[in-house]
Amino acid sequence: MKADLYKVPELNKTKFENRGKEFKLGIPVTNAVTIGNSIAVGFGDGTVRIFSSGQSSEPIKAHKGIVLCMSKDGDNILTGGDDGCFLKISLDGKINEIGNFGTRWVDHVTANNGSLVCTSGNIVYLWMPNKKEPKLLEHESTIGGVAFDSKGRKLAVSRYGGVTLWKKDYSNKWTSSNLIWKGSHNKVIFSPDDRYLVTSMQENQLHFWRLKDKIDSAMSGYGAKIKSFAFVDDSKYLATSGANDAVCWPFDGDGPVGREPICLPYVGNKLVTFVEPFPNENAILTGLSDGSVFLSEIEKASNTIIIRSFTEFEVSAIAVTKDCSHLLIGDMGGNILWTSIWDEEKK
Amino acid sequence: MEETNKQVPVTVLTGFLGAGKTTLLNRILTEQHGKKYAVIVNEFGEQGIDNDLVVDADEEVFEMNNGCICCTVRGDLIRILSGLMKRADKLDAIIVETTGLADPAPVAQTFFVDQDVADRTKLDAIVTVADAVHLSTQLTDHHEAEEQIAFADVVLLNKIDLVDESGLEVVKERIKKINPFAKIINTTKCGVSLNEILNLDAFSLKRVLDVEPDFLTSDHDHEHDDDVTSLSFVSDTPLDMEKFQDWFSKLLQTKGQDILRTKGILDFTGESDRYVFQGVHMLMDASPMGKWPEGKERSSRLVFIGRNLETMNLKEGFENCKSA
Repeated sequence: MKADLYKVPELNKTKFENRGKEFKLGIPVTNAVTIGNSIAVGFGDGTVRIFSSGQSSEPIKAHKGIVLCMSKDGDNILTGGDDGCFLKISLDGKINEIGNFGTRWVDHVTANNGSLVCTSGNIVYLWMPNKKEPKLLEHESTIGGVAFDSKGRKLAVSRYGGVTLWKKDYSNKWTSSNLIWKGSHNKVIFSPDDRYLVTSMQENQLHFWRLKDKIDSAMSGYGAKIKSFAFVDDSKYLATSGANDAVCWPFDGDGPVGREPICLPYVGNKLVTFVEPFPNENAILTGLSDGSVFLSEIEKASNTIIIRSFTEFEVSAIAVTKDCSHLLIGDMGGNILWTSIWDEEKK
Repeated sequence: MEETNKQVPVTVLTGFLGAGKTTLLNRILTEQHGKKYAVIVNEFGEQGIDNDLVVDADEEVFEMNNGCICCTVRGDLIRILSGLMKRADKLDAIIVETTGLADPAPVAQTFFVDQDVADRTKLDAIVTVADAVHLSTQLTDHHEAEEQIAFADVVLLNKIDLVDESGLEVVKERIKKINPFAKIINTTKCGVSLNEILNLDAFSLKRVLDVEPDFLTSDHDHEHDDDVTSLSFVSDTPLDMEKFQDWFSKLLQTKGQDILRTKGILDFTGESDRYVFQGVHMLMDASPMGKWPEGKERSSRLVFIGRNLETMNLKEGFENCKSA
């Protein structure tokens, strides 16, 4: 990663755009998930397309309206839609309906080691491996997000008033405890080392809990809602959207309490709408509200390069292939860029 | 909330169970051919809803930690409206049917507070369907019924064939006493021209200038202390901007819970523009709205709808804002 550009070129395409492939589909991109060296993309018309080697598959008609959420189970794609369906889709486009909730949306999906989860309203539906009927975990309010820990023994469910933390004992029985913080909690994630749990809130702030001693704290100061956040470089930093800078909180050592975040600035004062960790590096891909995308090293902001110049539409998805050779960028205007990451001579 | 071109209008249908919300909803959906509507329902009505795009949700009122003590929003609306805005095909409108006991304030506040919702959608109007036979009893028994009338831009007074003329007048007087702004439309079986309830842009500041409140001439006698009533003030003497802002912000901070809706057109000393505002509880949308029309007298008008208004020294407070 060399700093060869650090300003938005005027209408000039970047080298990544020049050597990549652009798809102008005109349908809002809602999600993207990496499956090996393919990237599955969900759209606002209910379709899913698989991108690999610079090619797009035919659209797979998954949902009637919107692909609201996406995850993966091994080599299969999981999707939830506003048609109330929870689907498992294979890379060759075969659709398997796992659940159907009618006029109630499927808001969140996730999986771990063959256990499949979707949420609709205030209920988590949990299919244990090879089980036909789901287990129902009910909550007091609509679920804002759901996440497994790395081992699949804990399931965090964010909601109004905090997080319900479900734990599976060795007889496969699930019991719950509550992590309380006033307000409405949306997306929830575990840190890759399972030490922390982080939620984004309806207010422009994040909240985290250190699980070993239940110490918790808010991370605030944002100008907008934080729709995208992710841990980088194992669990060293939490990169977040919601400001004009990509705000990266330190989670090494004793965590972020009393420490300042690193703020990565970008030209143009646009809102950061999407952050995606660059695999195995202390670096992030940052998408902005004008469609531009940058690659930055967190501890060396000067090492920032521009990947895509602006499209006018906010970046809503970024994904990197498993072998780190290519990446895909999608925005709310339905523009997709597939490009190689490394210069040819580096190969 | 002034940007209109890209925002999808949202019409909120309120009213007690059995008043005729579902009848009205189906009328809208069947009469508007070629338009794409999303309908958000929070209650299984007696009848089905005839539309491709029906979303089921639970009414969820969230408190916001934004320093506004009475600020509550509807979490289900934030979630669903944000989701609907990701659709590839653009919607002509969204209609939200609330349950009979819903408080309209969190619905309206959602459009002030959530930036994503405010960017992409706009509250078009609150339409309250009222049962001409039962409204009076409901107003006495349930504060939710009063709030639904207080927040209404349009009251559809339904089932008028089941009351006599004097009974109808009594109900109308009651509605006007709570909310002099609401346009009352008499119907049987919700038979109303759709342009009277859709695309009203009732929450835009421009509309504040257009709607003349229908004030009652009778004095403000009422049965209970916690009745919702309205008070209005007019002044031909220009107001002092600093004094007004001082008084008004303190008023909303301390009494915002009891003040349901406010609207006003203000004439400030030394300002060539008209200042227009409208608010829901403590939240306020305000802006200068161009020059005063030529040949028309400049004057300030201010209306409050709320509870315990008589305890707030509103008249005195307003008088003190006049420029010396």
